[in-house]
Amino acid sequence: MNNNMVYLDNAATTRPARAVIDAVTISLGEGFFNPSALYKPSVETAREIERCRKLIKSSLQAEQVVFTSGGTEANNLAILGHLGNLRQGGRVLYSQAEHPSVKAACQAAPEKFEAIGIPLDAGGRINLQSLSELLTADTRMVCVMQVNNETGAIQPLGDAAELVREKAPDAWFHVDGVQGFLRLPMRIKDAGIDSYALSGHKIHGPKGIGALALGGKRNLEPRLFGGGQEAGLRSGTENTPGIAGLFAAVLDFPGENWMRSHKLRLYEHLKAAIPTLSINGPEPDSLDACDHIINLSFPPVRAETMLHAMEAKGVYVSHGSACSSRKNRHSETLKAMGVSRAALAGAIRFSLSPYTTEKEIELAVRATIEAYEALKAFTRR
Amino acid sequence: MNDILLVKYAEIHLKGLNRPYFQNLLLKRVKEAVRPFSRDVQFYDSRIFIRGIRDVDAAVERVRKVFGVHAVCPAVEMDKADFNAICAQAANLMASLNGTFKVRARRADKRYFLDSPEINARIGGFVLENHPGLKVDVHQPEHVLNVEIRDQALLYAREVPGVGGLPTGSSGKAMLMLSGGIDSPVAGYMIAKRGVVLNAVHFFSFPYTGELAREKVLSLARILAGYCGVVKTYVVSFTKLQEAIHTYCPPEYSTLVMRRLMVRITDLLAERERAAALITGESIGQVASQTMEALAVTDVMSSRPVFRPLIGFDKIEIIHLAENIGTYETSSLPYEDCCTVFTPRHPVTRPKISKVLEAEAAIPQAEALVAVAVETAEILYIGPDEADDTLSSETA
Repeated sequence: MNNNMVYLDNAATTRPARAVIDAVTISLGEGFFNPSALYKPSVETAREIERCRKLIKSSLQAEQVVFTSGGTEANNLAILGHLGNLRQGGRVLYSQAEHPSVKAACQAAPEKFEAIGIPLDAGGRINLQSLSELLTADTRMVCVMQVNNETGAIQPLGDAAELVREKAPDAWFHVDGVQGFLRLPMRIKDAGIDSYALSGHKIHGPKGIGALALGGKRNLEPRLFGGGQEAGLRSGTENTPGIAGLFAAVLDFPGENWMRSHKLRLYEHLKAAIPTLSINGPEPDSLDACDHIINLSFPPVRAETMLHAMEAKGVYVSHGSACSSRKNRHSETLKAMGVSRAALAGAIRFSLSPYTTEKEIELAVRATIEAYEALKAFTRR
Repeated sequence: MNDILLVKYAEIHLKGLNRPYFQNLLLKRVKEAVRPFSRDVQFYDSRIFIRGIRDVDAAVERVRKVFGVHAVCPAVEMDKADFNAICAQAANLMASLNGTFKVRARRADKRYFLDSPEINARIGGFVLENHPGLKVDVHQPEHVLNVEIRDQALLYAREVPGVGGLPTGSSGKAMLMLSGGIDSPVAGYMIAKRGVVLNAVHFFSFPYTGELAREKVLSLARILAGYCGVVKTYVVSFTKLQEAIHTYCPPEYSTLVMRRLMVRITDLLAERERAAALITGESIGQVASQTMEALAVTDVMSSRPVFRPLIGFDKIEIIHLAENIGTYETSSLPYEDCCTVFTPRHPVTRPKISKVLEAEAAIPQAEALVAVAVETAEILYIGPDEADDTLSSETA
């Protein structure tokens, strides 16, 4: 691994913490037993799973926690698991900022459901007025993410939950917390949330592990059938090394950190040096902006060119959302926010980790400015 | 009783006194292709015989793609003395088939106790008795059961068409200008099919194009290597020239100047490689730089012939060819092979050479930039499997 690199793509994935690697290694080596077996080492393994479950339950104020293979599966389980359990059809609302694993799951629901996107404002937050208008008595489900993965916008979950309670009290309120978990406080029952998805590899844990936390309601239909693990909601032998890694990641995550001031420093320096800079998302210093993600455009330089030039200087950033950057399409979230064509083509996402240093921010600032200066002259004529 | 492959060739039969040269080269290429599956490859009776095969289907797929191969026949080889066993095996081969068939016997061993018509009749009769679903049609049969009596008896009912052409290496070497698009791999394939060894030249403009675009081009070279063996690939860093063109040339001439410099660099690499020609995927009128006038302007930059095998093909025809060769899917991946930043909105379609020369002359020290591009080109040896690549890359 290149230790000179400046990794600012932590919204795509994070480097596992030392404690996580150790926990996974021990689990793979010594704790390999099947937690369903009856001898002592297996019972110990099962206890470790419960220990992790308890930690997540208490940190989120959840009634139940189901381990999954990651955020995508947790979102699918909540959405299709809930809708699969309903006899009657109706509306399914999702914010237009949702991750593809939420959007696509809503759209894959049986035909009796009508999936409708909730419009966004220019800062990337859902328009509450529109949500209020879209909520009907037959709305069965509402999905709003906690923090947007592309813009860093924090969604108004409290207001949304209140509207749902008022206008469609039976609707299931699902929150994709993959980018928000541990970075923002969350008490799901107080917040009126029925299910909350999280992922290990976004918090310096391993890939291949995530969870769905459930509030009060429990009427979910499983998506995977088999040995009945995870209270019948997710069959399959438990990913014990993943769960051990997730446990270590949650314990190890630095709650106090400098991400916000680092992000603002990055923004201020770039704004001072690059006159064409524009923000795709909320104002970086507003309360609507999360600490770790900022999305900027540097017209007329195109995003791919910019990020390759930064890559050559050892700075790794991302173009839009990592889930879709291999497709030659512009981000649907940014389009829904009304971002201009030039800014769309140039959107670069910087995402920080609690371990990002001031020095790294300086290097990133320098690399960005140098790349911009070198490339700005080369525009299509 | 053994499973063997019988390999037939076609055009080589037309050769005169130099026929052994082509036959030996084909044998060598077949041996190379089939090496992971068998090392028992022999040539006699104007056929290539492959025995002791580990995975027949995979071996057929490899051999089918060797240029010069007309057809590959998975056959059963058995003792010719036991004619009853031959009949039984014949019935066995035809067991899964329906419709009409005929037996075509070929008796290379003239001392054999039955002549060809007798073999046809006896085996045909036996097959009919055992498979009432089959009927004989000697004029237009749906299936042909071939029985060849040589030192051993050979039976086969399946003939997999080969790619044809001439064995790689029989016609010298040429430089293929390989972009990430649909056309250039097809053009390379068509020339390689005539026995030409391919070297590829790719122009890479980091940071305007990234690692994925480069990987895509190498994947295309790898697919071509599946037919013609290791493709020596030059990756030329073109960024400095691209930026100079953008800075100094009028936009409407920038694409042509770029094409001219690419041809110039490829020609210099051809010199180094002692390659006899350049290959491009151009077709008349497909884009502005492929009008006849534009082709004339780029042609003069090469001191050797520029082959354009797709010159008269429509895009749809080229796509069909690419699908058949197996390059279409890779060519269609989205990574831009040349960033749109450098694509002018209104390129000239009927350029005057004087204007082009003027535009080109505006670039300071263009010849020096070309020389640096040639000198710093990265060289990779791309084989059909990643394991076949030469591990270390070098520069020119």
